Amino acid sequence: MLSWMIFFPLLGMVVVLALPRDRPNLVRWVSVVATSVPLAISIWLYMSFDRGTAAMQFVERLPWISMFNMEYYMGLDGLSLPMVLLTTLLSFLCIFASWGISNAVKGYFAMFLFLEMGMLGVFCSLDFFLFFLFWEVMLLPMYFLIGIWGGKNKVYAAIKFFLYTLFGSVLMLLVLIGFYKYSDPQTFDLVRLAGLKAFSGKMISLFGWELPLDRVFWVGLFIGFAIKVPIWPFHTWLPWAHVEAPTAVSVILAGVLLKMGTYGILRINYPILPEATLWAAEAMALLGVINILYGAFCAMAQKDLKKLVAYSSVSHMGYVLLGMASFTTAGVNGAVLQMFNHGTSTAMLFLLVGVIYERAHHRWIVKPDGSRGFGGIAAVVPVYTAVVAIAVFASLGLPGLSGFISEALVFMGAFSVPRLQAYVIIGSLGIVLGAAYLLWMFMRVFLGPLNEDHRALPDMNWMERLTLAPLCLLVIVLGVYPMPVLDLMTATVARLLTYLA
Amino acid sequence: MGSGTAEMLINLRLFAPELVLLALLVALFLTDGLMPKSRSGKLPLVLTVLACGLGGWVSVQAASLPSTGFFSGVVASDGLGAFFRCIFFFVCAVALCVAYSSREIEATARSEYAILIVTVTFGMSLMALATNLLVLYLGVETVSIVSFVLAGFGRDSMRSNEASLKYLVYGAASSALMIYGFSLIYGYTGSLFYPEIARQVAAMGQFPLGLSFAVLLAYAGLAFKLAAFPMHFWAPDVYEGAPTPVVTFFSVGPKAAGFAALIRLVIEVFSVRLSDGHWKAIDGSHLVVGLAAVSAITMTIGNLCAVGQTSAKRMLAYSSIAHVGYLLMGLVALDETGLLAILFYLVAYCAMNIGAFWIVGLVRDFRGTDEVEAFRGFGWSHPTVAICMSVFLFSLTGLPVFAGFIGKFLLFRAVWNAPGFLWLAVVGVLNSVVSLYYYSRFLRAMWFDPVVAPERGGSSQPRFPSVIPIPVVAALVALAVPTVVLGLYFEPILRVAKSSLENLLS
Repeated sequence: MLSWMIFFPLLGMVVVLALPRDRPNLVRWVSVVATSVPLAISIWLYMSFDRGTAAMQFVERLPWISMFNMEYYMGLDGLSLPMVLLTTLLSFLCIFASWGISNAVKGYFAMFLFLEMGMLGVFCSLDFFLFFLFWEVMLLPMYFLIGIWGGKNKVYAAIKFFLYTLFGSVLMLLVLIGFYKYSDPQTFDLVRLAGLKAFSGKMISLFGWELPLDRVFWVGLFIGFAIKVPIWPFHTWLPWAHVEAPTAVSVILAGVLLKMGTYGILRINYPILPEATLWAAEAMALLGVINILYGAFCAMAQKDLKKLVAYSSVSHMGYVLLGMASFTTAGVNGAVLQMFNHGTSTAMLFLLVGVIYERAHHRWIVKPDGSRGFGGIAAVVPVYTAVVAIAVFASLGLPGLSGFISEALVFMGAFSVPRLQAYVIIGSLGIVLGAAYLLWMFMRVFLGPLNEDHRALPDMNWMERLTLAPLCLLVIVLGVYPMPVLDLMTATVARLLTYLA
Repeated sequence: MGSGTAEMLINLRLFAPELVLLALLVALFLTDGLMPKSRSGKLPLVLTVLACGLGGWVSVQAASLPSTGFFSGVVASDGLGAFFRCIFFFVCAVALCVAYSSREIEATARSEYAILIVTVTFGMSLMALATNLLVLYLGVETVSIVSFVLAGFGRDSMRSNEASLKYLVYGAASSALMIYGFSLIYGYTGSLFYPEIARQVAAMGQFPLGLSFAVLLAYAGLAFKLAAFPMHFWAPDVYEGAPTPVVTFFSVGPKAAGFAALIRLVIEVFSVRLSDGHWKAIDGSHLVVGLAAVSAITMTIGNLCAVGQTSAKRMLAYSSIAHVGYLLMGLVALDETGLLAILFYLVAYCAMNIGAFWIVGLVRDFRGTDEVEAFRGFGWSHPTVAICMSVFLFSLTGLPVFAGFIGKFLLFRAVWNAPGFLWLAVVGVLNSVVSLYYYSRFLRAMWFDPVVAPERGGSSQPRFPSVIPIPVVAALVALAVPTVVLGLYFEPILRVAKSSLENLLS
């Protein structure tokens, strides 16, 4: 079943490539089908997922390269299922958000479906080598999606994204080889390695230094994942990639790809290198706080709506890191929930920026010449304003919407650890800053006297409304009652914490 | 007499793959001489491809006859030899296909070209089989001298002539160094046969400084064939000037042969086998450190110099220098995993590098320039070929799921196995990040940049008016498919490589 879910988009890609070039609508509808099947399967997985156990479920396991004990090993637990749900949902919605792509339609949708396969593969792989293959293979469609269908500086943005992530990946590749070399018996099996502490207490010599093996592995993996999150100071690719990418790609980038970094840390660093994880706890908390504040301050300074949302992602991923560093039930649950919730709320924001950009052909809050970009458009586009309001409030953590619960859990968890209290106090400033930059943006764009340039702005059409409706619903429902998602992960998180005890 | 004849017959069977090449040469001479140029058409191509197929089959057969030395022990026909022979036959056949699809090789000169390529292939075979320094020298010289002619094959082109002359000057110097090195080795050990040299060297106890010097000189000759530091300077100039099909061949064939010879020298002569399955370089020879340094310098120079290039051929020339650096990592390990990695990487490298150069040549034919900029818009006018090119480039970078990645994975793993050489693996991975930067310039030109509008008036650039013939597209796809498949399922090739190392390991 998992394989069907992962590889159905690939099948869709093949069909899309085989279609004639002059039937763009057919291509679009095939893509709808190709993404709806994984969505349906993931909902079925959600229904039949056993919430009481931390064991891997829906496991598929086949020998692959027996010389290296590599396996085709797929499975889901409470950590990966929320991410899979997020991926299938956002991919499906993004097909509709990409309806307006008119240049090389076949190529675009083919790449998009390929990307979905890569993302699902990353979240389901339990063999490190397989994980790495999917992790890397995702770079290719992403590179082309930004580079071909992106904005003005697309070439620079695409190569910057590619080089940064490749740099992280090669460090991960070395750790991958090291895992195999130092594990006994030699294996890439992430489930078997979990909790074994196979790399503790060994030393490794590198450039003449004698270093503890597990810490070297930990740092290598962490940098690889940190670039994806992105954690300061590895974040500089993100604003470029986000601003230049087409709307749907930004949504996937912020909604799913950023989560892969923290997912990887939780999937590999935590259970396999627990001692090094404990060693690095405060560094992670510190980086989390830097991310929260740095992202927030940068967001405040932006004049471009999309850049503002991009930096808000940097800020919000800081909460995830802070929660993870607490090693408490509340904190880690909050972090995983925040990964999911940020996925939905930031996806909304990017989709909404895309909506306004398509109409106004610019996204300036304040134009470079200092004049107002928008202003008072609430009067012209009431539905749009309402949806933006929901997304903004969810994003800034208003009680009753999804962001609040996960952020509250993160802070509760982290505050219960004495040595992290200082970080929490400083980090909680991020909530105020978040409210500040989001509300200030809202004020400048939607309220005040109407900017006459945009008097004729049309409101959202039915397709845009339908695309955003499921996300709106999720944000509200999970804000009131987060258990449908929280339920999935509690058992897995509990076991994760036993590794660190 | 009877036993002598029987031995001769066995020897000939072991030598059958080379005999196939010689027979092919005769056949090519006859067709070239007897048939009018206008009539011979595709006959040389067909003959060569068939003979190469036969040669590959015969090589596999010969490998099953156990022999580490024949013709009085000057050449060995073992699994390693068979593996390399198969690579050479493949490269030879594909090189001729490349020549037939290119406008740089005139139609009337194709059969001459075939003769030269087959002769080089014969020389490469000798290099790979040699277990005697003199035979090795003969092999290297056969390859070199014919290569000088090939580099100057574009007779009317000044640059091709210049390339040929440069190649000749460098080649003469390096082969002088090499033969001097061989003579010193002979002076120290009193033998030209590998096993005897190995025995003598092992018996010396302490590796004399003079012998180190001799080894260094001998290395210079092989480094010239490999285009490894410090003998790599010729490569960019020659690659840029020589006709593209010739370069396609140069960038894989002689390099593979050089590696075969290097493996034999390092493993069979200057290392001793330990009981745990590793080899150990002879004390005092500084062999491993030297190889590691050469490897690191070669790949770094290759990649850093490639970054600044605007000519596609020059860039790929530097990239092929870098790949030699990666490959040398496998020798640093001095164990089975390292050799396996080299063999696998060579197979992957053949497919991806031939593919990339081939497409550069096709684009050059259309656009009349080898600038990377000539690829502008290529992706949208020839999507299938451009996708193949992307596959080759990603594979050269070492990205999953392509064969190049598996090759690098195996190499990094091997070099980490050698105690104290983790730093080389780190240098290696950082180099592959650098390489992405310049390979991506092709991708950018092919897919991202807008097609240049034809300039008004005189010198308008054609927007790829020509259609690439279907057989050429098919051949490129046939190179791209294994590049992907080997990235996903590489076990069979590794098993073949492993069995071909049996003689060395026993």
